[in-house]
Amino acid sequence: MNLRWHHFALWALFIVGMFALPQFVSNGTLRTMIFANFLAIFAISWDTLSGRTGYISFGHPFLIGIGAYTTAILTHRFDFPVEISIPIAVIATMVGGLIVLLPALRIKGSYFALVTLAMMELVYQLVQVVRPDLTGGTRGMSGLPTLTRGAANGYYMSVSLMLAIALSMWLIMKTRLGTALSAIGMNEEAVSGSGLSVTKLKMTAFLMSAFIAGLGGAVYIHYLGSIAPRALFDINFVFTIIVAALIGGAGTTIGPIAGAFFLTFLLEYLRPWLPGAERYMVYSGLALLIYMYQPKGMWALMTQATFKSKIRP
Amino acid sequence: MTLRKILTTSAAAGLMAVAGFAGSAFADIKVGFIGSLSSDTGLSTLRGAEMAIEELNAAGGMNGEKIVLVTADTQEDVTEGVKAYEYLAETEKADFIISGSIDDVSLGWMPRMQEYQIPTLDTWTSSISIIDMVVKDPELMAPYFMNIASDEALATLYINFGADVLKKKMGWDSVVILAEDTAFGQAITGLVTEAISPVAGIEVKDTIVYDVGTVDFAPIFSKAQATGADFIYQVSSVNSQVISSQYVKLQVPMPMTGVNVSALGMEYWEDTGGAGGGISTLSPVPSVGFKLDPVSADFVKRYQAKYTSRPKMPHFNGFNAYYGLKQAMAAAAEVGGFKDAKKWSKAMEKQDLVLKLDGKMSLRYGFWGKDEVEPVTKRTYPHNARFDLTAPYDDAQPSMVVVQWKEDGSVGVVYPFEFATTEFTVPSWIKK
Repeated sequence: MNLRWHHFALWALFIVGMFALPQFVSNGTLRTMIFANFLAIFAISWDTLSGRTGYISFGHPFLIGIGAYTTAILTHRFDFPVEISIPIAVIATMVGGLIVLLPALRIKGSYFALVTLAMMELVYQLVQVVRPDLTGGTRGMSGLPTLTRGAANGYYMSVSLMLAIALSMWLIMKTRLGTALSAIGMNEEAVSGSGLSVTKLKMTAFLMSAFIAGLGGAVYIHYLGSIAPRALFDINFVFTIIVAALIGGAGTTIGPIAGAFFLTFLLEYLRPWLPGAERYMVYSGLALLIYMYQPKGMWALMTQATFKSKIRP
Repeated sequence: MTLRKILTTSAAAGLMAVAGFAGSAFADIKVGFIGSLSSDTGLSTLRGAEMAIEELNAAGGMNGEKIVLVTADTQEDVTEGVKAYEYLAETEKADFIISGSIDDVSLGWMPRMQEYQIPTLDTWTSSISIIDMVVKDPELMAPYFMNIASDEALATLYINFGADVLKKKMGWDSVVILAEDTAFGQAITGLVTEAISPVAGIEVKDTIVYDVGTVDFAPIFSKAQATGADFIYQVSSVNSQVISSQYVKLQVPMPMTGVNVSALGMEYWEDTGGAGGGISTLSPVPSVGFKLDPVSADFVKRYQAKYTSRPKMPHFNGFNAYYGLKQAMAAAAEVGGFKDAKKWSKAMEKQDLVLKLDGKMSLRYGFWGKDEVEPVTKRTYPHNARFDLTAPYDDAQPSMVVVQWKEDGSVGVVYPFEFATTEFTVPSWIKK
């Protein structure tokens, strides 16, 4: 597993630091961090499938949406308690996603990306026109039960979930399974040639990704208290998830977290000075600069800097 | 002067400046605008609010406190709307929020309004589901007000247009519905199909659903003609200028009315390249072509002198923001500010502004009482703008009007008759 004590020490430091933050920052900052935590969860989910195996998904909101809509419908229309609806939503995401997306794993490259994108668009249209009495149609649903009230509670809930997912994924990726998944991204034929079942590995990656997406989507909706198809199945949403993972560093655990925080904070901190869509120009420009300088993202930049400082006499 | 003295004096001056700045910042009444900063809809509300604030500040502010405006862009995105509301509440500490958000964005941030309990006024969103929330939980929804008639009230009066004009005046007996493939299209189509036949006595021959990305409407218009219906009823909220301009350019030999969102603004004529004559649509009040009372006319005049970019004329929500913000401040002045949302809510419920034209009621900015039952729909509309669904509309303005664009680029109200500035006509290329 190649685990060293300092890895755990760093994780402990990170977790303690994250939990101590509400003592030092304003509620406004905490609200921003909550969105960053959820974006980090979605970016980790995307990275588990796409960043590791190289199967680029443009339809990740499809999975998030299954989880979100399942729990929203169950709680809002059928009065299910949240503690039951969320596990059901996670299972529904894994099963629903598997049925629809698994056949797509047989295709590669841009074709896979297009199929996932089409899948997202299909669900987007379906939730608007099929049984709007259940889904709320284009307007969605408001007044869903919320898990927390107040910035600090919302932060503790989202950060706990994000850290639990991140730590679990980090541990899994340190196993042989993680190595095999990363190997698929490098050379699928070589993995197949070594006697491993590539299909099983991809299915595992997909199920893990769906589990995180379903769980994240369901909890996210019960944080927001509302759901709307445009919020979930918008192309900007999928791009934000992908950019967060890439800008932070795909194929790593910390990368998507760093990317999500960078992206969310950059956009929110620009709001007082650039209240309109101009904020996105600054964000795009910075993203471009980072990619040009280090295509592997911010995590690679950070490790590079640490390495340089270590070898400097 | 020694260095120590200079430093001490500078530090003291600095502290005083900071204290003074902080003091003035806390003394201000902060109004948060939530909506799109790049759409005609959002800008209408923003500018209406800006003008009201300028006037109020010129008159001494709210109880002597200066009113300042801060903005949070939603980009018409639901999640951005939630973030924007949180930003106004947590970072800007807004005392009052005025919204130019569209329906799903308002529904998105509604749980935050419920949590923060900040007095909030919606000027564009008309979703009846929000009024249902007020009915269901008046305590939780106390700080929320909507000063546009709810969509249900808009639709109820629209069916009367079908009976009074389309059936009675024009003598049309059958309709073919052209509806865009959205939930909005589906909902309106359902309503029209269910109500237009029993209420107005018009038979629905067929319903043709088209994709919102449609760029060539020729085959769709041909199909509509083939049904043999007397007129087309269009339901279009996305890219509505495309279907309108093609209808005109193709000179489709059938009259067409319905819901066309692009025709709600003065830019419609430019947006269709001058090919928009003959199109009529439902619109909340006051609409384009609506004869304005002197106060509202003066507001428009000053608006046009102040703003040179689109929208040339504020949409209905611009008026709602202008009058609504003043009412919110008047309510706050009465109860000593916005801090006690429940007290403010009680004072806001009592706000009532009647604007008259030629001695008759033209616009009324008031709200339905908690237990007041509207006689036509037989339901309550607490915290919703007061409207009237029956002629002669002496209790309030009608919930909606039907406006029609003429072939010379002019626009006027055709229904209700009491507010009509022009007659409903069919385009010149259609045989009467």
